[in-house]
Amino acid sequence: MTPSLLRPAMALLLLAGLAGPLSACLQHQGSLSEDDHETVNPPVEQAVGLFARAPLHVPLVITEPAKLVSPGEDFVETLAAAHPERFRKDGEHWADATGEFTWDDDEEIYWQLVPADVLTRGRQDFVQFCSSCHGLEGDGYGRSAQHLRPPPRSFKQSSFKFTKVPSDKLPNDDALVTLVRHGLGGTPMYPWAVSEERLRDIVQYIKSLSPEEEGWRDAVNEIGAVVETGADPWEGKEAQGIAAGEIAYHRNQCYGCHPAYVTAAKLNEIRGVDKTTTYAADVTYPKLKKDSSYEVLGYKVAILAPDFTWQTLRYSGNPLEAYQTIAAGIGGAGMPTWKGAMPDEDLWAIAHYVRHLTDTYKDKPARAAFMAALRAAP
Amino acid sequence: MNSLLIGCTGRSRLPARAWLATLTALLALACAPSLAAQELADRWGPNAPASANGGRVDSLFWLITTMISVSFLIVLVMLIVPVLRDRARPGHKAHYDEGSSLHDKRFTAIVSVIVFLVLDASVLVMTMKDLREVVWNIPNVEKGAYQVEVLAQQWAWNFRVTGEDGKFGTPDDIVTINTLTLPMDRPAVFNVTSKDVIHSFFVPDMRVKRDANPGAINQVWFKPVVAGSYDILCAELCGYAHYQMHGTVNVLPAEAFKAWEKEAGALALTAYDSNDPEALWAWEWKE
Repeated sequence: MTPSLLRPAMALLLLAGLAGPLSACLQHQGSLSEDDHETVNPPVEQAVGLFARAPLHVPLVITEPAKLVSPGEDFVETLAAAHPERFRKDGEHWADATGEFTWDDDEEIYWQLVPADVLTRGRQDFVQFCSSCHGLEGDGYGRSAQHLRPPPRSFKQSSFKFTKVPSDKLPNDDALVTLVRHGLGGTPMYPWAVSEERLRDIVQYIKSLSPEEEGWRDAVNEIGAVVETGADPWEGKEAQGIAAGEIAYHRNQCYGCHPAYVTAAKLNEIRGVDKTTTYAADVTYPKLKKDSSYEVLGYKVAILAPDFTWQTLRYSGNPLEAYQTIAAGIGGAGMPTWKGAMPDEDLWAIAHYVRHLTDTYKDKPARAAFMAALRAAP
Repeated sequence: MNSLLIGCTGRSRLPARAWLATLTALLALACAPSLAAQELADRWGPNAPASANGGRVDSLFWLITTMISVSFLIVLVMLIVPVLRDRARPGHKAHYDEGSSLHDKRFTAIVSVIVFLVLDASVLVMTMKDLREVVWNIPNVEKGAYQVEVLAQQWAWNFRVTGEDGKFGTPDDIVTINTLTLPMDRPAVFNVTSKDVIHSFFVPDMRVKRDANPGAINQVWFKPVVAGSYDILCAELCGYAHYQMHGTVNVLPAEAFKAWEKEAGALALTAYDSNDPEALWAWEWKE
C-alpha cells in the first residue's frame, strides 16, 4: 500500500470501529420506560454450580403509587404549618392539595400516598445497592444472602432490629435512614454512603414492600421515633456508672440471655438471694434463643445474645447508642423495650457497663484471664 | 556553593574547616535522592512482608523495577545524545535516516535479543522458580497446614475454619465475617470461592492475591511469621461497595492461638442451631 492510501484507510477503519459503540449509545439515550425491561434487564440465568439460584426477572419501573401509614398526625401537622399553601383545614383534619396525605375517617389515621416515580427511583437504587443481600424483591434472600448469619432483613416481615425505636412500633423514616447510614457492626451491612435524597427514596420503597394488611399497609400499626435519651446521669463519674451498671445488669437478670460477668457468689450477693443458690454451667456464655418470630424460608432464625467481650456489637459503639439499644429493645429478638421497665439511671449505668466490658476485654489479652477466673470460681 | 566557587578560583583563602563543611554539604546533597527515595518507600511503599515467602515477591518486584529503570536510562541516553549531537546547526546539516540499512537492522535485532534474554528471560526464570518452590507447592495437613475456607460475597468475606476437630461441616466450625485469626509460623492454606460475582482475596502484607470465582475453588497459601493485624482487601471490582469490602487477619502466636481456637470453638457450639438448614455450609476440601 502506498503512503497516500494509508491515511484514508486508517481513518475508515477507525470510523468502522467507533460506529458500533456510537450507535449503541445513541439508542440507549433517554430514561427507562416499561418496554425497556426486557432489553436492559433480560431474565438472569444464574450460574449453575456450588451456589446455584433460580432464574430471576428484574422489573425496574413501578407504575402504582403505594398507600402507606403516614408517620402520624403530628408529622402532618408540622408539614401543614410549613406549607400553608398546600394544606387547608377540612373539618378537624388537614386536606393536602397534592393528595399525598389523606385523612381516613374509618381508620382515624393519615395515609401517605407515595408517588410511583419516587418508588421507581427507590427501586432502582435498591436493586443496585441492597438487592445482593436483601433480595431483588426485598424478601431478604438475595444471591449473597445464602449462609449469611444473621440473615439479611426481609422487608416482607416488617420487623426491624436496631432502629432504636420501641419494638412495638414501626420505625419512622429518620430512624431507617440513620440505621442505613450507621450500618450494623460485624455484618456486611456497612455504613452506606448513599446521598440523602436517594436514601429517602430507597426508604420509601422499602416501606412499600410490606404485604397487604401488614407493616406500613396496616392501619393499626403506629410509627415511632428513636427513643428519647435525656442527659447521661453518669457523665463525669463513669467509674461509678460502671459499678452501678454491673449491679443493675445482674439484678435485672440480663444473664438470662447474655453471659454473666461475675462469679456465682457475687451474683447471689447482688440479687440478695440465698448464698447457696447455684447457676447453670453456661451462665458465663451467651445463650441461643431458638424459634424467634423472624423467618427465613421457613426457618425460624435462632438469635444469639452477644457476649460483650467477644462479639462485635451491631449498633452500640458508645454509651449513648448502647442506651438507645437497651431502652428501645430489639424487635423480634427477645430483647424487650427496657425504657420504663427500670429506672433511666440504671439503663444508663448498664450502657456504661456494657461499653466498659467491650472496651476492656474485646480482642484484648485480658479477656482470657477474666473469663477463666469467672469460670473457675465455684 | 558560592564559597566553593570562590575557593576554586583562588580569590579567597578559605580555612580548612569551611572546606570540610562544604564537602559535607556536597556529600549530603549527593545522598539526598537516595534518602528521599527511602522516605517515599517508607511512606507510600508496601509494608515489610509478614509472611515467610513474601520477600520473594518483593525481590522479584525490585528486580523488574531495577532492570526496567536501567534499560529506560540507556534508551533515554541513546535517544537524547543523537538528537543533540546530530542536530542542524551552522556548519552541520541534519539528515533523515529511516534505519533501513543492513547495519541498522542488525543492530535492532541484536538489541532485541539482548533485551529479551536479559529482561524477560530472567524474570521468567525467577517467576517459574517462585511458582514451583512456593506458589504451587501447597502444604497439606500433614505438613501442618491450617485450612481456611473463604467464601466471598457482595460485599464481605466469610471465613470457615474447622475448629479443634479438624473437620469441615461440623457444629464446632468457627465461622466469621471479615475477621480471620491465624496461627503464627504455620502455613495457612485457603480454598477461595465466591457466592455471586468475581472477587479477589488480597492480603498485601502477606504478598498474596487470588481470585474468588463463583463455581470454582481456587487455592492460595502463605505462612505468617509476624504476629499482628493485617488488611484483607478485595482486588477485583465487584460492585457498588467493592471499596468497603475489607477484612482483617489477626496473626496470633501459637499459644494465644490455641486459647483463641478453644474459646471460639466453644462459642461456635453455643451459637450453632441444629434447625438451621444453612448453618453447615462447607465444601469438600480441595487439596
